[in-house]
Amino acid sequence: MTNIWDVIGRSESGPYIKEDKYDWQIGLTAGELVKKYDIRFDPEQVVPEDDDLADRVYQASLDLFLELGIYCRDTSRLVKFSRDEVETALRYAPTSITYGQGKDEAVMVYRGVEDATPPFCLCTPVGQSVAEERFVPMVQSYAQEPLADTFSSAFSQTVHGRPIKSGTPQEVEAAIWNVIKLREAAQAAGRPQIGIHNLVSNAERTDAILAAVRPEFGALPNDGLAIAATAELKFDYERVKKAIFARHTGYNTYGLYGALMGGYSGGPESTAIVQVAHHFLGLLAFDVQSHCSFPLHLMQSCNSTRNLLWLISVTMQALSRNTRLLINLAPFTASGPCTEMVVNETVAIVTAATVSGADLNLLAVARNKHPEYASGMEARIGAEAGHVVSWQGMSREQVNEIVKQLLAEYEDQIEEAPLGKRFDECYDLASVQPTQAYLDLYEQSKEKLTRLGMDYSLV
Amino acid sequence: MNHLEQIVKATVEGDEERCVALAQQVLDQGLDPLEAIEEGYSKAMVTVGDLFSRMEYFLPDLMRSAQAVNSAMKVLRPHLLQHGDGGIQGTIVLGTIQGDLHDVGKNIVKIMLQASGFEVHDLGVDVSVRRLVEKAEEVDADIIAASAILTTTMAYMPDLTNLLTDMGMRDKFQIMLGGGPVTPDWAMEVGADGYGETAAEAVDVAKRLMQEKRGGK
Repeated sequence: MTNIWDVIGRSESGPYIKEDKYDWQIGLTAGELVKKYDIRFDPEQVVPEDDDLADRVYQASLDLFLELGIYCRDTSRLVKFSRDEVETALRYAPTSITYGQGKDEAVMVYRGVEDATPPFCLCTPVGQSVAEERFVPMVQSYAQEPLADTFSSAFSQTVHGRPIKSGTPQEVEAAIWNVIKLREAAQAAGRPQIGIHNLVSNAERTDAILAAVRPEFGALPNDGLAIAATAELKFDYERVKKAIFARHTGYNTYGLYGALMGGYSGGPESTAIVQVAHHFLGLLAFDVQSHCSFPLHLMQSCNSTRNLLWLISVTMQALSRNTRLLINLAPFTASGPCTEMVVNETVAIVTAATVSGADLNLLAVARNKHPEYASGMEARIGAEAGHVVSWQGMSREQVNEIVKQLLAEYEDQIEEAPLGKRFDECYDLASVQPTQAYLDLYEQSKEKLTRLGMDYSLV
Repeated sequence: MNHLEQIVKATVEGDEERCVALAQQVLDQGLDPLEAIEEGYSKAMVTVGDLFSRMEYFLPDLMRSAQAVNSAMKVLRPHLLQHGDGGIQGTIVLGTIQGDLHDVGKNIVKIMLQASGFEVHDLGVDVSVRRLVEKAEEVDADIIAASAILTTTMAYMPDLTNLLTDMGMRDKFQIMLGGGPVTPDWAMEVGADGYGETAAEAVDVAKRLMQEKRGGK
């Protein structure tokens, strides 16, 4: 079976290609495969029921991966794989992983399309920037959510009052502080041994991250690290260092892939192909156990648009139907906390992803851009919607109707989406509980969602 | 369809061969190359940029049109010397800031700036503030433009104004910032002269900064 050292070897000996030429080839090749496999985005079938479409997207992705290979930015060389190597890696990929310990242990398992197993919920502000003094309450608001299986980090604007710069000594200090504070938040949430799926968000460089991943700072043996593809189907040695570290230490790892719809990949159909192909990259070059997708709209920096919802559904179905990989989807909303729109966007994305076979990485709001605009309530909204879909045994057809009705409410507001309220405006910081206003807003939204066919009495 | 309309059509369609042929015809027929650029190729790229902003065009379409314009420019630019600056809108040094490897947004901005007539020196990714400034001095740039997508790398952006100030060169260059976590307020707070949310906006800002630099406030 291919291992990381085969990948490193090929990255030193594979065909040389200029990066901008590779970028060109992604769009061209994906575009040709869209035609070959007759893949079409249907705005009325946001959550398609067409199994054959999902399978064609999968086959196109495999073709793309085999034809293009992946690009090593350190050596400007292509790393290519055979069909047999990819299929073998898929055959031996994990179908379950465990996070946390004791009463806080949680097991992520493979999910199929329209699976009655509820989605595994990784709850996180997705590195949203927050003031140092509000870091612990903000991440605690995610860890304490009853449906949170794991949690992870915000980004603290300072550590010990000093800003964090990548590549400086302060980054190492910030990374260590990050792990200590996450475990402190877990304890404050009453879940001391809950898994942390990504231990460090305060640092970018691998040396800083690895310096912090130690039990004396609060890391559990099966906590995790994210390993991101830096751009479409590209990797570099800095990322692979984490994979080597995890191989020796047993920390869980997950791949992080965010193809940009409208970017090098082109439109929704070709971006779907590229997004699925990233999972092969993660499996072979990063040796990850699970995979997080966050495809984004290039202009809107969210994935709640109609074409992105289709892309999410069809890619998750493609992977769920053709592999047994552990896949999750990270919703990105345009609107911010404590708005009706954030509920609508979240539920649309989550229901589309869950019925299509994905777990949930909950979640980035306000385009993941505006400091202080994130709270655990959005994770609750997403986790509950995902559980309703599974426990109610919803079909893709049912979800498609719900999603279309939600789209009708928010679609034309995406560009000017409301920012909502800051964390300190929608949570009581002393008790770390959502304000009554936010709870009331959610209750009203649930009444509407119930009318649309979602049975919230199940959660 | 007149010659300028044909240029616009070929550019919007990303027809490189046709764009080059039309550029050659401009010279052969004694038409004004500057007019062909400003009212033909550049005007068309504004349309392409609008289509891209609305996601009716995607990046590969934008790249095709930009490539077509660049090839046409190679034909026309040598004949623009009588205009002194060769029809160049301004010179920009561009890169993602130190530690940041995310360059899709930066590359789109580069394409749009080049297609709008700017001379762009792209230093790529993970570019130190010192290198940006050194390159700007070397090419006598008008604008230094930097992007960041990570909060940990964004923290280097204030160093750009600080270094230029300490070197006594703050007034020599205009500074443009952009990227995921960068907001207009923050960019102004750290002393930037301009901020672009999108590539199209970055082009507008660059044009405005050039006007200001040339005293056309």
